[in-house]
Amino acid sequence: MPEQPYEPERAMAGTGMGGQMDLAASEATSLEKTPAGPEGTGPEGTGAEDKARSLWSDAWRDLRRNPVFLVSSLVICFLVVISLWPSLIASGNPLACDLAKAQEGSQPGHPFGFNGQGCDVYTRTVHGARTSVTVGVCATLGVALLGSVLGGLAGFFGGAWDGFLSRITDVFFAIPVVLGGLVLLSVVTGNSLWPVVGFMVLLGWPQISRIARGAVITAKHNDYVLAARALGASPSRLLLRHIAPNAVAPVIVVATIALGTYIALEATLSYLGVGLKPPSVSWGIDISAASPYVRNAPHALLWPSGALAVTVLAFIMLGDAVRDALDPKLR
Amino acid sequence: MLLDVRDLHVEFHTREGVAKAVNGVNYRVDAGETLAVLGESGSGKSVTAQAVMGILDMPPGRITRGQVLFEGRDLLKLKEDERRRVRGAEMAMIFQDALSSLNPVLTVGDQLAEMFTVHRGMSRKDARARAVELMDRVRIPAAGQRVKQYPHQFSGGMRQRIMIAMAMALEPKLIIADEPTTALDVTVQAQVMDLLAELQREYRMGLILITHDLGVVADVADRIAVMYAGRIVETAPVHDLYKAPAHPYTRGLLDSVPRLDHKGRELYAIKGLPPSLLHIPSGCPFHPRCPMVRDVCRTDVPPLYEVTGAPAGRGSACHFWRECLHG
Repeated sequence: MPEQPYEPERAMAGTGMGGQMDLAASEATSLEKTPAGPEGTGPEGTGAEDKARSLWSDAWRDLRRNPVFLVSSLVICFLVVISLWPSLIASGNPLACDLAKAQEGSQPGHPFGFNGQGCDVYTRTVHGARTSVTVGVCATLGVALLGSVLGGLAGFFGGAWDGFLSRITDVFFAIPVVLGGLVLLSVVTGNSLWPVVGFMVLLGWPQISRIARGAVITAKHNDYVLAARALGASPSRLLLRHIAPNAVAPVIVVATIALGTYIALEATLSYLGVGLKPPSVSWGIDISAASPYVRNAPHALLWPSGALAVTVLAFIMLGDAVRDALDPKLR
Repeated sequence: MLLDVRDLHVEFHTREGVAKAVNGVNYRVDAGETLAVLGESGSGKSVTAQAVMGILDMPPGRITRGQVLFEGRDLLKLKEDERRRVRGAEMAMIFQDALSSLNPVLTVGDQLAEMFTVHRGMSRKDARARAVELMDRVRIPAAGQRVKQYPHQFSGGMRQRIMIAMAMALEPKLIIADEPTTALDVTVQAQVMDLLAELQREYRMGLILITHDLGVVADVADRIAVMYAGRIVETAPVHDLYKAPAHPYTRGLLDSVPRLDHKGRELYAIKGLPPSLLHIPSGCPFHPRCPMVRDVCRTDVPPLYEVTGAPAGRGSACHFWRECLHG
């Protein structure tokens, strides 16, 4: 006789991992779905209940039903598409400006009007997405990689390396981001976004490193790590196969939220004149350029700052939704 | 002689001071023999086992003295990577809570197969086939399908069977089971214990069964070692110990088991609490709780006296074991 799982609450709370819904609950969800999904989600849903479920598949099931996740990921998909192929929806040249049209409002073919230099605001806003998304994604990848490797090793090995790294982290935390950016980036010549990305990675990794260190320390005290050790697993195997997959969730969450803030930081630095400079196209540059004329031509300020706000919000909402989905206590 | 633990001392350095968790433990296990290590929480039974396995967290733990002879080799003198090759292949351990002892993000098949890929260098496909065989061997129904499932999809008893399968995978010579049935239902407990005993007989493994459950011990163990405050206070063949304990602590433990023919009477309990490992009482560590305490108990640490007139290898760490044994 196959034994049925008999402690669903324990399975959820005890491990902080994939919660096992009891049969009644899973039945209830599939019943609930049947009227809502006439296209046959009912049977398909019950099929999925039988399949292997892990933390990630549980989280994915939660996310699919979460409107916050759906809206924010739609926005992000749209942003990614237009930063890859901006000419899909804005065929004009963002650098083609006509001073005669400076500060003019909305016109046929130019829905967002013109800015102080007579450039088309719509085209520039669309083309500006590429800078923001590139900086955000690259800085986040760099920060996540560097931070989780350093923090993970510190948490795993502990001892002197951990102490050293933790003090370094404290030092970096003490550097004010904007002030640091003004000082460091003002010495950079040329007009490329890589120094900006590098600066963000330099100041951002301690945040992820702390999270990764904590997550690894929590994971390494789990019984299954001790059990794996008792069965002869090597340190590298313990770290890569048993600890890392169980410690990566908080890193993903924080990195997703941080992505939004890096985009905002790029705009801030460009606004202050130490990030990208014209003729690069960036929302920060446009916001900076439009702010003196805000009374005459508010549209030139509103569109790029609106796009920036929506983008940052989308990433932060996505991070929030992912955090909720990966936290079994909220389920 | 498969395993011979000699005069093992383990300390933990904590903020409150040095906790002496194990203070001179001696025990031996032969091939095919089951030794039950009995004791309350904090008696040092799990720490001893972890020191034998070499999975003690050091620091804060420290082995200050002693030898762990495994087939004549002192494991404490081996380098960490030599030690690692012994773990899993020659000695393995089963833990109390099988759910938390299995990695939640890997399928049970992956975890079983890992034993073969890591230690035996098998291909993934062969290892997977062996994993299914093992699951069959520990009587998990529909092993072929269930091999792809995650630990939380199994019941408590099934998970413990999987842990047993992992421990057995490489046919080690010694298995240490740390309260393997404590987290299980009573009916499932018996099945799991039977399975463990059956596999042990089949492969002639040595088994160290760590428990605080006197009932489990009576059925499966050959010999018992009773631990108190990091020492072995009594060791004896299981039936002799049950018939006539030679240490007041063992007597107290046996008397505190509820019995049907004592229905309605007040349940016996050993007075007082187990000592703090930071401040182990002078003399015999059990003296503050002992009903037959004398002056000498407060000052002199009793060695493990050989109990004469009993089958060989019976010992008691009580100055007055004769009195205890006879009444």
